[in-house]
Amino acid sequence: MLPKIISKKTIKFLATLAVAVSATAVASAEDARGKQLYTNCLACHGPDGYGNQLLNAPAIAGLSEKYIVNQLQKFHDGIRGGDVRDAAGLQMRPMAMTVPTEEDKTAVAKYVASLPVKKQEKTLEGGDPEKGKILYTTCAACHGQSAEGNDLMNSPSLQGQHDWYLASQLKHFKEGIRGANPQDISGAQMRPMAMMLTDEQAIKDVIAYIESLSE
Amino acid sequence: MLEYLIPRASSYAGDIDRLFDVITYLVGFWFILTLGYFFYLVFRYRAKDGQKAEYITGETHKQKMAVEVPHYLILVCDAAIIILTFIVWHKVKIDKPEVDEEIRIVAQQWAWSFYHAGPDGVLGNDDDIPMVNELHVKKDVTYRFYLEATDVMHSFSVPVFRLKQDAIPGRIIEGWFQPTKTGEWDIQCAEMCGVAHGIMGARIFIETEEEHNEWMASVSELPSVNWVAKNEAKDLQEKEDKNNG
Repeated sequence: MLPKIISKKTIKFLATLAVAVSATAVASAEDARGKQLYTNCLACHGPDGYGNQLLNAPAIAGLSEKYIVNQLQKFHDGIRGGDVRDAAGLQMRPMAMTVPTEEDKTAVAKYVASLPVKKQEKTLEGGDPEKGKILYTTCAACHGQSAEGNDLMNSPSLQGQHDWYLASQLKHFKEGIRGANPQDISGAQMRPMAMMLTDEQAIKDVIAYIESLSE
Repeated sequence: MLEYLIPRASSYAGDIDRLFDVITYLVGFWFILTLGYFFYLVFRYRAKDGQKAEYITGETHKQKMAVEVPHYLILVCDAAIIILTFIVWHKVKIDKPEVDEEIRIVAQQWAWSFYHAGPDGVLGNDDDIPMVNELHVKKDVTYRFYLEATDVMHSFSVPVFRLKQDAIPGRIIEGWFQPTKTGEWDIQCAEMCGVAHGIMGARIFIETEEEHNEWMASVSELPSVNWVAKNEAKDLQEKEDKNNG
C-alpha cells in the first residue's frame, strides 16, 4: 500500500511528466544530432541553408522533412546525381553518403526543415510574371497556389528558392538529366511538366511568377 | 612486399613494386645501421667518473674516413635508385605501347565520370558509354586514358595498378595501363580537392571479354547512356541541317 500522501492522481501526473520529459529529451537529442550532421552541408548550403550560387548549392531552408529525406535517399542511391552531365548533382552525391542511415537522414532533414525561409536575390532578368502566372496553373496542382509545396504529391516548396536553381532544374528535367532514371518516380512526374515550358522565355516567365509569390 | 598488402593488377605494377622494395631495403639498411651506430656511441661514450668530454674536429685521416666512406657508399645506393627509377619511368611514361582501346576520364568535385568506347570500340562517338564512378575494362587489353578535371586538381589513383596521375583543369593528360587480373577494385582521388575529397571514390571492374560484353548490353538502355547518344545524334543532325540549309 502506498502512503496516503501520494495519491493515484499524483502518480499519474508524475508518470505523464516522466514520459513527457524523456520524450522531450529524445526529441532534443535528435535535434542536436541533426544540427551536428548539418555541419557536413554548411560548406555549400551555408549555415542558414540559403545556398550559394558559386557552389551550385540551392536554398534548402524550410523544405519539408519528407522531401529532404527522399532527395537524400535518391542521391545516396544514384537515382539523382547519377548522370555524367549533372555536375552539381555529382557534387551532392557523395555528401548524401555522409548521412547513410534513415535516422541520420531524418535528423538532418528535421533540422533543415526548421530553418526559416528567406526570399533570395533575383539573378534572372527578362521574365514576365503575368505570362508566368498562366503557365504556373499547371504547376499549382502539385506545388500549390502559393508555391508552398505538397508532401502528398511529393512536391517541394518553391518559396525562397534561387531563380537560377529553378531554371537549372527545369532544364535538367527537360533534358532528362534529372527525373529520367526509371527508379525516380516523383522525378518522372515532374519531367513532362517541365516539357510544357517550351523555351527559355517560358522558364523565365514562370520563375518570375514564382518569385513574385514570395514578395 | 607490397603485393601481400594489395594485389597487382596491371602490367607495370610489378616493376613499381620492385622499385619500391629496392628503395625500402636500401634506405632501411642505412637507417638501421646509422641508428644502431648512433645508439652504440651514446652507450659506449656515456658519462663516466673521471673522464672528460672530448671535442672532435674531424681533421684526422681516420675521422675523415669515418665520414667519407659511408657518404660515398650512400651515394652509390642513390645512383642505383636513380638508375632503377629511370628504367621504370621509361617503361611507364616514355615507352608507351600500342593501345587497343581508349577511355576518357573526367574528374570533378567529387565524382569520376568514365566515358567508355561502346560496342564499336571507338571513343568519341554516339555509342560511348558514360558511367559515374564505375570504370569497366577488359583483362589483357591495353588502354590509353585521357584524364581531365573540370574544377580543381584531382589525382586518378588506382592502387592495384600502382597508378597515380594528377588531373589538372584545362589539360588533357594521357596515360596507359593494361589490366592483368580480373576483379573489382578501388579508385580514389589522391589530391586534396575539397570537403568531400575523402569520399571521392569509384570502382574499377576488370572483366573478361564475355563479361565486358554482357555489361555493355546491360547498360545500353540506361537513361544516361541513351540520352548522351540521343543528344549527340541531335547535335549532329542540326549540324547537317545547317550544312545542307
